[in-house]
Amino acid sequence: MPSDDVAISVRDLTKTYRLFSHAGDRIKQFFTFGVKQYHRQFTALKDISFDIKKGETIGILGRNGSGKSTLLQLICGILKPTMGAVTTCGRISALLELGAGFNPEFTGRENVYFQGALMGFTQADMDDRFDDIAAFADIGEFIDQPVRTYSSGMFVRLAFAAMIHADADILVIDEALSVGDEAFQRKCFDKLQVYLEGNEKILLFVSHNVRQVERICSRAIWLEDGRVVQQGAASETCAAYQAKIHQQVHGRQESQKLLPTFADSGEIDVIGLQLFKDQGEEPVDEIEIHAALRIAVDFRCDSNLIEPDIIVGFHTIDSVFIAAASTAILPKQPDFPPGQHRVEVRIADLTLLPGVYQLRLGFLDRHFRPMWAGHKLSTFRITAPLGSNLVRLPPGLVDMPFEWRFTSLGT
Amino acid sequence: MTERLGRSAQYYLLGQLIKRDVLLRYRGAMFGVAWVFINPLIMLGIYAYVFGHIFQARWPQQGNGAPFWLVLYSGLIAFNIFSDTISRAPTAVKNYPNFVKKIIFPVEILPLVPLGAALVHAMFNVLILLAALAWAGQLNLQVILYPLMLLPLVLIALGLSWFLAAWGVFIKDMSQIVPPFVQMLMFVSPVLYPATAVPEAIRPLYRYNPLGSVIEACRSAALGQAINWSSWSIALVVGVIASGLGLAFFKHSREEFADAL
Repeated sequence: MPSDDVAISVRDLTKTYRLFSHAGDRIKQFFTFGVKQYHRQFTALKDISFDIKKGETIGILGRNGSGKSTLLQLICGILKPTMGAVTTCGRISALLELGAGFNPEFTGRENVYFQGALMGFTQADMDDRFDDIAAFADIGEFIDQPVRTYSSGMFVRLAFAAMIHADADILVIDEALSVGDEAFQRKCFDKLQVYLEGNEKILLFVSHNVRQVERICSRAIWLEDGRVVQQGAASETCAAYQAKIHQQVHGRQESQKLLPTFADSGEIDVIGLQLFKDQGEEPVDEIEIHAALRIAVDFRCDSNLIEPDIIVGFHTIDSVFIAAASTAILPKQPDFPPGQHRVEVRIADLTLLPGVYQLRLGFLDRHFRPMWAGHKLSTFRITAPLGSNLVRLPPGLVDMPFEWRFTSLGT
Repeated sequence: MTERLGRSAQYYLLGQLIKRDVLLRYRGAMFGVAWVFINPLIMLGIYAYVFGHIFQARWPQQGNGAPFWLVLYSGLIAFNIFSDTISRAPTAVKNYPNFVKKIIFPVEILPLVPLGAALVHAMFNVLILLAALAWAGQLNLQVILYPLMLLPLVLIALGLSWFLAAWGVFIKDMSQIVPPFVQMLMFVSPVLYPATAVPEAIRPLYRYNPLGSVIEACRSAALGQAINWSSWSIALVVGVIASGLGLAFFKHSREEFADAL
């Protein structure tokens, strides 16, 4: 029997789907009353158990097809478990997706009222809330225009506003906040934080974006192939999940190593792109933050290269460019005669925050014509030294050398 | 979990869905919701012209002199409720995948939406019928039984809706199969002719068509003739059974809706 402060209890949850290869097979199955099987079984979730207490914010991590959506649908009662049980106490937000109940032909106002009806609110209840919703969505006159005329940003604003004002005890947000502009995202997160204060509400947050999960969740559950791989404090689980992604991305890398993904004029063959610790001889793929790093580029050219630009840069696995080195800033750029060459660039203090990153590399000729360019070339991980307080840094990409100063300005 | 919403909240939600459904049909149209009146008037006008003036048709037992188009219209209203509902039932759930997969929602009320919308339209039809009866000097008190006469038909339509909506989710062909079937029903049911016009030999078969009993009963109610209560009662029993079975079937299959959509 779960104790009082447990709001969601999941016990030995298993969900199997019947897969029919042809629509007609479903009819055959129906009329044979289970004597013969016309379908395959697919297990989406297997023996999942966990408790969620009031006031917790839970992140659910996992790749596509890992069972995240199925788990949410089971918790909400949209699906029935094949085995095991889910018990929840408190009102669940009825929507697994922002604006799922919106009809594009109706106005924002009509849709907000309808969404209220989905949550069990009467017309009068909604009259009380509507002004707050409209104020938060902040879409002005558009509130009385059909939703089909909205931009995707406005749609999310209104949908989020309607959801957050429905006063649910259990809030489910599935990949929703990746839309909308930066300012509105921040407004949403602020609002969420206010909403979650008081330790009574629960947030179930599903996202591919590990940083977002790290930021707003206290606990995380990592699913893979329908099983829980790890659950616990968000920071630990997220780190483990990222390490796994790193491994997989890296494993996939080996086969297609150093193929130019952007441009290839045929003048240059890149043979190697390796990372070394400061004085190290062996290439590495894991480096501590604030260590010194060398990146070595081995290439061959068949003709003279006159003052090429060589660019080596970092980006996140979702292709956000962070920083790049370029030979263009040198007072005199070197020339390369035909043959094989190694170019090394050294970084004395690697300030990238712990996470998984990739390298990009480019060669441009004197006239900025790309000769060779590629992204996602080599994957590496930045780790935090054990016991360092760097893990307590807020999420971000770079650990800048900040300095604090505290001065009393009187009382 | 679907019982999360109380009864009254579910009725309110259903009301909202029906309202949206009716409004959506006329949204953006120049005459707007006025079409709920204009449509049946056009239909009535066509029947009056074609059958009354061109065919000069006479109802065989048209005793008290009601014009043919009026007799036709009073039965057609009932049949239209049935045909509107049944034709749209296969897509009643299929067209709302979000309500099945993304929202905690009492899905079993979705098939009620086409029926509700058909009843709203029928209500306007009945108002026009009343006006037409008054105009033709045929208005009598028995017409207040008209809605009651419809009850078995509504129950049958309800049961079939649940059944067809569930099948429609799994089998796309349902929305193709149903309309010709409905057309056929229109000709085998006494809509355009009275049951008494059917040859003696096959008339017993007609007693087994509950739709026919209801349409006959509706016509009798509207025109102040004797209602055949026994066949109406049989239709009512059929309706109760059909709606019960339909709901049971729907609830049985709804678990797999989410994977099929």
